[in-house]
Amino acid sequence: MVAIRRLFPRGYLFTVLGIAVGVAGLVALGAMAERITRFIDGGDRFVLGQISVAGEGMGMGTGFTAGGLLRANKIEQIARVPGVAAVQGQVMLPLNPTTSQFLTLTQELILGVDPAVRMSNREFRELPVRDGRFLRPGDRGVVVVGADFGASRRLRVGGSLELGSGRTFQVIGVLDKTLTAPDRFAIVPLDDARDLWLRRDPLLVQVFTGGAGGLGRGDLNTGAAVAWADGADPDALARRIQAEVPGLNVTIPGELSRLLRQSTAFFSALLFGVGVLGLVIGGLSLSNTVTAAVFERIRDFGIKRALGATDGQLLREILGEALGVSVTGGLLGVGLAIAVGTLVDARGEGQQLFLFSPRLLGFSLGFSVVLGALAATYATLRIVRLSPAEAIRRGA
Amino acid sequence: MLVRARGLAKTFHGPDGRPVPVLHGVDVEVKSGEFVAVAGPSGCGKSTLLNLLGLLEPLDAGEIWLDDVCVSRLSRRAQCGVRGRSFGYVFQSFLLIAGLTALENVLLAARYVGRPRPTALAEARALMDRLGVAHRADHYPAQLSGGEQQRVAYCRAVLNAPPLVLADEPTGNLDEGHAAVILSELRALCRQRGTSVVLVTHRADAAARADRALHLRAGRLESQEGDGHS
Repeated sequence: MVAIRRLFPRGYLFTVLGIAVGVAGLVALGAMAERITRFIDGGDRFVLGQISVAGEGMGMGTGFTAGGLLRANKIEQIARVPGVAAVQGQVMLPLNPTTSQFLTLTQELILGVDPAVRMSNREFRELPVRDGRFLRPGDRGVVVVGADFGASRRLRVGGSLELGSGRTFQVIGVLDKTLTAPDRFAIVPLDDARDLWLRRDPLLVQVFTGGAGGLGRGDLNTGAAVAWADGADPDALARRIQAEVPGLNVTIPGELSRLLRQSTAFFSALLFGVGVLGLVIGGLSLSNTVTAAVFERIRDFGIKRALGATDGQLLREILGEALGVSVTGGLLGVGLAIAVGTLVDARGEGQQLFLFSPRLLGFSLGFSVVLGALAATYATLRIVRLSPAEAIRRGA
Repeated sequence: MLVRARGLAKTFHGPDGRPVPVLHGVDVEVKSGEFVAVAGPSGCGKSTLLNLLGLLEPLDAGEIWLDDVCVSRLSRRAQCGVRGRSFGYVFQSFLLIAGLTALENVLLAARYVGRPRPTALAEARALMDRLGVAHRADHYPAQLSGGEQQRVAYCRAVLNAPPLVLADEPTGNLDEGHAAVILSELRALCRQRGTSVVLVTHRADAAARADRALHLRAGRLESQEGDGHS
């Protein structure tokens, strides 16, 4: 008990609380920045992990494969281009078509994939399943939901989900958080996605049932994910596909990544601002609190100087106290930020706003300790310049 | 130990920045085991003289010698050592540290001079026992009466057995009974341990118990009474 009190003297309660509030602000703002960074990085990894192809034209205008219908024969032609390792036809539909043109980065999507074909995206070979299982060949009428998608609807394995037009799906799996687009996906077997598409789009139904152009179910793809062979240059391969297979919209991974970065430049600037703001607010609060706490005890330090304490002894003593107070306040602040962040996220209907990464928590604690020590050193150096009598007078 | 101070001068600055001279070239000499009282009206420079003698305040002019060492010219670090080992201070307002217990306050004197804690702890307990505050060892200053606080402060001042004790109005905030205890202790220090004591006081009875009384007026030494040990 005595040892604890030596490290954490009486009268430091408000100092600790002050530091905790500063660190909590820093951690909370940092966690929001981390969350956005992870989202943007995840999107970047996705577009750099595959060549996205759609048919020529406007098509659904959604998701990552904006473009017209991609027919089966085009998929076969793409597969024959040298350097292509695999092609996975997909159907990607907005869950709510009325909002499909807005907030593309956060919209909820229905993704239809053929589980018999391996995922073509090099960065997402497998999506992490938290509960239940992923799609298997032969599955019909089932859905695997992303973490946020499931949380916002309180979906569990075994539950049911209506994905529009009266089709109900049984939930067989819930994905783990990826902190990027798949968190808001509902992934269904490709044939089910084609059914949903047909039910939603009267024009497509007319074309399909009318047999125009010899369309079959295999032609109903909004796009495809193309995987390249090891050693192939994805950008060069994308250009080769564009040149060798006419009538396609082919995204060049490198260019798409650059475009994504440009489109998220606002978020990057926002992140930088949030980070700087967090450092300034948290740093000022912390250093001001520690400095004030040291100056508040100026009389005590005057007494200690009168009793023979040298500058070095006083500095070591104050630094030890500042360290104890900063670490305690820092840990409290981190705990406070996590508690508030968790509470807010729990009420956010599946939207995760905060990401408390180990690097953020480590940096925040280190920052509070270093800044606390610097502030204490500054205050001590100011105090030791005074004579003992002057320090006692000022603290009286 | 012989304490000699020559030509001590100190000037402070008022709120408007104008110089306020407090001491004008005061000479003081205190022999080993001598009890010297410094008396005079308020504002005459008594406390400033004590602070200068105790190296708590830098001099504007003059010098202070302890035996054959001019301590006023020592480095800051060396002066810290002199303060810790050679001087003990008792102040009117006790100057105990609020966040430490009575025992911890007493032991603080030993911490900065590198004394082994077990030895200091035993001596501190014995001292507090003799002064009647041992039962208050684990109490904080705010939990003690004025008389108890001053006795704790006295224990802290004499724990390292310094050759010189500087006491600034140590009875100013005490009733007669407690004041008598402190004055008796100071007197006994001189007689039994050969400690020199400089006592700043405006109490005539306190000054009367000293071997010698210095009278200050307007920053100058006006007169001396007594010339030896009583």
